[in-house]
Amino acid sequence: MTAIERRAFVQGAGLGALAFTIGGAEVMLTPRQARAERVPLRTLTAQEGAALDAIGETLVPGARDAGISNFVDQQISIAPEDALLQARILNVHPPFANFYRGALGAVDGASMKAKDRTFAALSPEEQHDLVGRMRVNKLDGWQGPPAPLVFAVLRSDAVDVVYATMEGYAALGIPYMPHIEPTRKW
Amino acid sequence: VANEKVDLVVVGSGASGSVYAYALAKAGRKVVVLDNGPDRPLGDLISSDIWGRRLKPAGGAILLGGKNPFAYANQGAYAVGGAALHYFAQFPRYLPTDFKMKSEHNRGHDWPISYEDLAPFYDRVAADVGVSGDAKAEEKWRPPGKAYPMPPMKTFPAGEVWLKGAEATGIHLVPMANGMNSQAFKGRAACLYDGWCHVGCPIGALANPLVTYLGEARKAGVEVRGLSNVTRVLTNQAGTRAVGVEYYDANKERQVQEASVVVLAAWSAQNPRILLNSATGKHPNGLANSNKLVGKFMMTHHIAGTWALFDKDITPHMGTVGAQFMSYDRYAKTSYPSAFGSSFITAGTSHKTNDYSLARADLFGRELAVFMKRAARGLTHLTIFGEELPNIENRVELVSEKDEYGMPMARLTHSFDADAVALWNANFDQGVKIGRATDAKEVWPGKGPIMPTSHLHGGAIMGTDSSSSVTNSYGQTHEVPNLWMAGPCIFPTEGASNPTYTIFATALRGAEHLAEHWESVAL
Repeated sequence: MTAIERRAFVQGAGLGALAFTIGGAEVMLTPRQARAERVPLRTLTAQEGAALDAIGETLVPGARDAGISNFVDQQISIAPEDALLQARILNVHPPFANFYRGALGAVDGASMKAKDRTFAALSPEEQHDLVGRMRVNKLDGWQGPPAPLVFAVLRSDAVDVVYATMEGYAALGIPYMPHIEPTRKW
Repeated sequence: VANEKVDLVVVGSGASGSVYAYALAKAGRKVVVLDNGPDRPLGDLISSDIWGRRLKPAGGAILLGGKNPFAYANQGAYAVGGAALHYFAQFPRYLPTDFKMKSEHNRGHDWPISYEDLAPFYDRVAADVGVSGDAKAEEKWRPPGKAYPMPPMKTFPAGEVWLKGAEATGIHLVPMANGMNSQAFKGRAACLYDGWCHVGCPIGALANPLVTYLGEARKAGVEVRGLSNVTRVLTNQAGTRAVGVEYYDANKERQVQEASVVVLAAWSAQNPRILLNSATGKHPNGLANSNKLVGKFMMTHHIAGTWALFDKDITPHMGTVGAQFMSYDRYAKTSYPSAFGSSFITAGTSHKTNDYSLARADLFGRELAVFMKRAARGLTHLTIFGEELPNIENRVELVSEKDEYGMPMARLTHSFDADAVALWNANFDQGVKIGRATDAKEVWPGKGPIMPTSHLHGGAIMGTDSSSSVTNSYGQTHEVPNLWMAGPCIFPTEGASNPTYTIFATALRGAEHLAEHWESVAL
């Protein structure tokens, strides 16, 4: 068997399909597809989802359309041992929903204190400034998980949906070269 | 539920547990292996940094403390095959000096064995699992031994670019010894150099337990039960013998597996947790712990990484996650005037997009997007692992919180001392010096507010004296002769090089000793 045969070259796939619920039925979609289909969030509130979209886009351009809020929402709605989040590698203790709720609430809280608006309502320049101060733990009124940890976890989620997918590799001009392609559910 | 009694129950199916299962099954013993993770087929090893996270623990029952908490989840495992399912398969040996820390430097501990005692087992493991490398080239630093069964792995520009800088700064790089196939080996495929080793190699080119010792053990009739959480080692009324283990199965039902001999091979933090939770009236401090050394002398490596960015395409994504080159030129414990301890240099691992983003963890927004494009063509890394001396304050102990099975969780407390910090800083200076002597456009130390940790050792150290160690040199506990410990938990010092080859070798030595002396151990 040749090397080329043992590789599973595929075209245009994404993160891999995850199980989303639409109208009570389970469907397999990529996070980008879930966003395009307006799949409702299961665990995050609409405000939390909006905050996550805005923070994700600030951290990694393209994260919003790549479906960061659908990705995180789906992942914190399943058993922790099945989750694909970088949070597990960074020793965040499950349930992961607690961390994300605390983190997103802290971001909006800091935004309200500084600008009297939620993070999603800030201008891109204001969002960039606030995230920069979150990274170095210089935000007044921060109440939640450590700000640098929130920065690291949310940045990683945004990197995941934009760059760690097969589409992301293609955008950077890198051949993905999977042995086993990430297009199916484990 | 009580199960049929077996000869041997092994707790953990990684590098050490798989060896015990293999060796004892080969000797005709009936063996059961219990692992807390799921038993995944090779086809589940998806080539993705995102999906690969499922091979690691999610939360778990080990809480982290100290000034420098250990990166437990990143290094641990949640799968049959253990951490050796997602390891980098770098196979450097320890050097003779690692076994004589106390004798040569009056610090730390001596091992109860020498390099010469272990050398034959390094050679045996290489022949069993397949190692690619250049043994002759390594003999600059170690005694001669057998050639590896395969020539070195291929090299790629992301590794080769370091050669110039190393040579200019007096560092001799040789091919890394890798537990990977540079050519087809024992019916297993040759490596494709696609750089997905760290999320599990589904083609069998990397020597993970599923395709080596555990695979052979299964062929010999060993039963492997995944999703089996062991909570206690059970002992007889007199407290003189282990009689089996208590565990909770995939349905979270309590089970008892009786056995003539028990081997704990569940890694350095979980092994002490089980021993401490096995306390009885006869063993009030926990099993094998009358000297209160169970869970003590936890050690890890610190990592000083140097990034280099070239303005040409060096194919960072190609190759193996195991490095292409290595050097022991800073391995002597007194290599630096300002620091003490061994350092092990590796260069040229393959990187994927998540790695690029971590190379500049401070960037976000448009700046990150620009950097990612440059990194995709020109990023590479040099890693220097540094040794930490054994410190009794670095420890595992039970806490009051309990897991879903009612078993107390444990806290792993870890802090680096001044020696380790000094060595870490010296290694950054060394790495940047090498990087600046390459043709790189930019060179920077990967130094953040956290001292990165890698590999875990200690917790049930071996020695000759039962008052100052938990096991003998084979892993047999001093206090309960049919209870054995396996893996890096028995290492009394840690050296600086990747430990898994030495884990395999010490486990093979212990397992064959157990097989040869079965009648006297099992009674």
